[in-house]
Amino acid sequence: MSVAKSHKVKDVFTDGPIAPTAISMSVAKHAARTDIGAHEIFLGQVRADVMDGLKVVAIEYTAYREMALERMTAIREEAFAKWPSITCLHVHHSLGVIRAGELCFMVFASAPHRQAAREVVAYVVDRIKAELPIFGKEIRSDETHRWKQNT
Amino acid sequence: MRVRLFGLIAEKAGSEFMDAEAPSVEALRARLAERIVGLEALSYAIAVDRVIIRDDAPLTGSEEIAVLPPFAGG
Repeated sequence: MSVAKSHKVKDVFTDGPIAPTAISMSVAKHAARTDIGAHEIFLGQVRADVMDGLKVVAIEYTAYREMALERMTAIREEAFAKWPSITCLHVHHSLGVIRAGELCFMVFASAPHRQAAREVVAYVVDRIKAELPIFGKEIRSDETHRWKQNT
Repeated sequence: MRVRLFGLIAEKAGSEFMDAEAPSVEALRARLAERIVGLEALSYAIAVDRVIIRDDAPLTGSEEIAVLPPFAGG
């Protein structure tokens, strides 16, 4: 069976949180691909950080969408070049207000064997955090805010 | 040229766009610093045609310019 690996520009952004049920649906969609032996999934959840006695209740994400999608296409191409056995790679990032406890980020890779799936997910998550122009406004319990910064 | 502003930088400027004339990235940094109070204390990057430019580079005015505060995705 030969299915073309997708290198076209895909929109990774969705408005609002990622529904936990969307993840099981996504897994289910791969059942037909019986060459897959491993799925690796990273999920980012909004954490209620506490600073100066104030709790983060939500993060409002915005992005420079055009640049983010260009960077994501380059990262995807590099990932497929480094791990050619990868069957597929799906990335979703939320925009808008995501409350603490909700999911805002998913990287989902499938491969015949676990090692490539694990490695590519770790690589793609780190590259996305470092390179995609996504901005996060942490909204706190007293309705003030501060701007999140990846370290 | 019309400069796109994001996140904290847009908040400081009170707008998601700023019109500025600058023949180079360095000149643009100076224009931005004149117009956005406190910008020099902030960490930011300039993207020209969706690529971050670390050094100086000439600008013709037809590029897509964006001012990007630190990233927070993931």
